[in-house]
Amino acid sequence: MSKGNKSNKTVRPKLAQEGLFGRLSYFSSRALANLRQNVFVSVVTVGTISLALLIASLFLLVYVNLEGMAEGWSDKVQVTAYFDREPAPLAVAALKGRVQAIPGTAKVVFVGQVEAEKRLRGRLKGQESLLEGITPEVLPASLEISLDRKHRENEAVAAYVRSLKQIQGITEVQYGEEWVKRFNSFMNLFRLMGALLGGFMTIAVLFIVSNTIKLTIYARKEELELLGLVGATRFFIKAPFLIEGVLQGAAGAVLSLVALLGCYFAFLKNAGNFLGINPVSAGLSFLPASHLAAIVCGGVLLGFIGSLTSLKRFIHV
Amino acid sequence: MIQLHNVSMSYQAETTALTDITLKIPKGDFVFLTGQSGAGKSTLLKLLYAELSPTRGQVLIDGVNLTRLSRSQIPFLRRSIGVVFQDYKLLPNRTVLENVAITLEVLGWGKRDIGKKVYHILKQMGLEDKVNSTPLRLSGGEQQRVALARALVNDPKILVADEPTGNLDDENKEQILSIFKEANIRGTTVVVATHDRRVIENSHRRVIRLEKGRILEVADVQG
Repeated sequence: MSKGNKSNKTVRPKLAQEGLFGRLSYFSSRALANLRQNVFVSVVTVGTISLALLIASLFLLVYVNLEGMAEGWSDKVQVTAYFDREPAPLAVAALKGRVQAIPGTAKVVFVGQVEAEKRLRGRLKGQESLLEGITPEVLPASLEISLDRKHRENEAVAAYVRSLKQIQGITEVQYGEEWVKRFNSFMNLFRLMGALLGGFMTIAVLFIVSNTIKLTIYARKEELELLGLVGATRFFIKAPFLIEGVLQGAAGAVLSLVALLGCYFAFLKNAGNFLGINPVSAGLSFLPASHLAAIVCGGVLLGFIGSLTSLKRFIHV
Repeated sequence: MIQLHNVSMSYQAETTALTDITLKIPKGDFVFLTGQSGAGKSTLLKLLYAELSPTRGQVLIDGVNLTRLSRSQIPFLRRSIGVVFQDYKLLPNRTVLENVAITLEVLGWGKRDIGKKVYHILKQMGLEDKVNSTPLRLSGGEQQRVALARALVNDPKILVADEPTGNLDDENKEQILSIFKEANIRGTTVVVATHDRRVIENSHRRVIRLEKGRILEVADVQG
């Protein structure tokens, strides 16, 4: 039967839902009315979403802080290039320029022989007798190079060192190869654990939220059935439920962030300080804005997809 | 016009609800489907608004073969058929007004027009002082009239009712039947499934008697 075969015995009043805006406004008002008429069910759904997202965002906050802290350790990755003889002052600037041109260089500091001797004397303060007979000429001049974050992996450092060795005058390069390898293995393990735990957490959140939404929709299956029997199209039945899902997801996400902020100021802000793990920032830092936006979007998506998949089960038109 | 040609319906391989039913119900007719429980009355009604699809045979409404309708076309068929369900199917958390308004909301009517039309039909049903009540606060007869108002509010071409007088006292039965008759006078084809003999005898309408899924008798009784 086509749309044109509808009963038209009476003169129908002008449709209220004409146009996209009209339809959207009808479905939104229906969704809000449904939320009001099913307060308990809505509160349970929003509560579940916010609790699930709170647990996930607490994990994210701890992970982001630990990762930041571990990343800070990588600042210690430094490459030292030694010269067989001290370059002339004019040549130093040219050499620094050539090193700076190698991709991955963050900072270059020239350490002359006199400076090297001064540093050694500083380190061996109180044991000056050990330095007898040592003159600046004995110690090699060097360039101390810091690398940017993208070039601190094993292979990137090795490639950098190969490029560095091409520069004339550089006879030896040291960069704590073993330390870099161990540090990078640790970081890989840390990220893998984070991904695994995060993955489990995501699956658990999806499972809990989709089942809660399924139960709430199950509780209203008579309404879905009736709408189908009085001639509602699938879209007409689904749209208010999907808007409800989006609103519940957004509300759950915002509530979880409010709770996270509460937890942060109550317990976590100074936790890093207390544990002595993050002395630089004197405590854990809060999630960046991009992560907060991702949590809100995640909540909205959870509500939408949870409703969509649950509705499929109960709509038979 | 409603036409059924050699319609059979089985729920499972062994359970046959209807067997080889052929019948015609002309436009504007008022018929009773009767028979014992399990005779196939409800199944036959469900075929008319495409809640079920026959295992064999054809069901036609105004020449449209329902067995060939796609899922997306079924809602448009249902908009021209008012259905009174045996269990009323009223939404407990919505008011009487909202329950009746559902039919018009689906059609896309505006809020103000819905309010007017729903109030008008509820007044006809004697429920004007119950518009803001929820169904659980109503008596059985009142609930039945709300279900009837929801089925009739958009002036459907066909009205289908499954045991509409089942749990009602004589006064309420009379009231419900007179509403059916009024709808029929306005041109709506009415098909009522009932096993209540008194209702059938007092109505003087055509009766289709079913037994074990087959038509046993068609008695033309005109009032």
